[in-house]
Amino acid sequence: MSEFFHQYFDFTIMGDHFSEILEGFLRNLLLFAVAVVLALIFGLFLALLRQLPGKKFMPLRGITIAYIDVFRAIPLLIILFLISGGVPYLEFLPKDIRIPHWFGQPDPFWYAVVALTLVYGAYMAEVYRAGIEAVPGGQVEAARSLGMSHGQTMRHIVVPQAVTKIPAPMLNEMISLLKDTTLASVIAYSESLLLGREVLAETFNSSAVMLSGLMFLVVVLPMARLVDYLIKRNQGKITRGAHIEVA
Amino acid sequence: MRKTRLAAFFAVLLLALASVVAIGCGGSDETTGGGGGTTSEGGSGEPLSVGSDIPYPPFEQGKPGNYTGFDIELMEAIAEKMGRKAEFQDTSFETIFRDVQQGKFDAAISAATITEEREKAVDFSNPYYLSEQALLVAEGSPFKELKELEGKTVGVQQGTTGQELAKEEIGGAEIRPFPEGPDAVNALKSGTVEAVVIDAPVAQNAVEKSGGVEIAEKIPTEEEYGIAVAQGETELLEEINQGLKEVQEDGTYKKIYEKWFHLEPPKAIFTATHEAE
Repeated sequence: MSEFFHQYFDFTIMGDHFSEILEGFLRNLLLFAVAVVLALIFGLFLALLRQLPGKKFMPLRGITIAYIDVFRAIPLLIILFLISGGVPYLEFLPKDIRIPHWFGQPDPFWYAVVALTLVYGAYMAEVYRAGIEAVPGGQVEAARSLGMSHGQTMRHIVVPQAVTKIPAPMLNEMISLLKDTTLASVIAYSESLLLGREVLAETFNSSAVMLSGLMFLVVVLPMARLVDYLIKRNQGKITRGAHIEVA
Repeated sequence: MRKTRLAAFFAVLLLALASVVAIGCGGSDETTGGGGGTTSEGGSGEPLSVGSDIPYPPFEQGKPGNYTGFDIELMEAIAEKMGRKAEFQDTSFETIFRDVQQGKFDAAISAATITEEREKAVDFSNPYYLSEQALLVAEGSPFKELKELEGKTVGVQQGTTGQELAKEEIGGAEIRPFPEGPDAVNALKSGTVEAVVIDAPVAQNAVEKSGGVEIAEKIPTEEEYGIAVAQGETELLEEINQGLKEVQEDGTYKKIYEKWFHLEPPKAIFTATHEAE
């Protein structure tokens, strides 16, 4: 048992490597920050494509649904390998796009951003869809009978209501995304897990890896509490709403 | 009368069945105990569990249950001399010494250089291989020496001597540690890193098997590979050293070496010794 604590909770090793693991963790957060914004936008875009009405848009809807299915089905780790290993070979693209070093970030960072955006865009599209479908049909009917187009209805009536219904599930996706930034270590992005494993290779002690885990804990726990709070508040609203209707 | 006879018959049958089962169990215990005997002459020892980070061609490669490579074949030959059968387990290089020390495996053979740092965790056998590092670059690359890569992007395998060498020699380069050697070679082929510092035989293998890459420079490092056992396992260590000596003397070592490296083994390896600390 003491060996276990020595191996995973050696505070001297944690202290010695604290600043470098923290630096790695900040890279996790940076990757998260860029990828989450792009995934939220891309996911909404996919969800809206999926809601396009009529026969005319059937092929586009089909492609969107196929995309969402494919990217929800293939493990993120494999997408990550595919992009980091495959994109550099697309010779019809200019070198700055195949091997990007934008804003001083190394190419593994951008490969990870793309992989996370593609995969979490698909996940988030499903969350948006749940929100859109939860908007009562009468809202759409009312808007359309007032002469609004499908686009106007979506923009002014449906989406604003839909997003108020989904902060809790969306936050859950964000928590997953944040944790999945550690997968970028396999393509040699120097985030906290990779740096922790480096300490492990040096010292034969896993405490630095554990330290990286603890840093995630510190950030994710408040997020998880926030999810619970939002769910509770939302339920409160529903019950109060029902009460008013009865009265 | 008839009924009693029938009952007696069943009783005897049951007894016979029970004894067969009992003998069967005892017998199977014996066969597992002497499992080494099927492949090694007169082997009566327990199977020798050996950890290795696979793949790392040509030292270790292949699929579970069918591993092969220089390390694997050499370890099998040594185990045979010890009268035991080597059973390989794939593991991660970063944790391999800790796992040996904790007794997860009896021994580890994984193209591991004997270093003081590692010696703190485990004991090493006599060297079984003398190694060099190689600077691997894309075909037609302008880089000819490690020093020229200052300020460039260089791939290495995480936790290896190649990584240490790169850190020491070209501190200003961006060093990318990949989890496995082939990942680093792939990054080189795709152009995301400009060079890879890795064990010479691995580099040679990549040149032969993958193409598109070439060895720019070989860097002697006076590295010696050893087989690791847990500290204090003196008897096991002696047996391994003795087995290694025997396979070197009877020509098996040379045969395996030439099979995997297409080269004659260096003479120094036959006299190299190492004192476990």
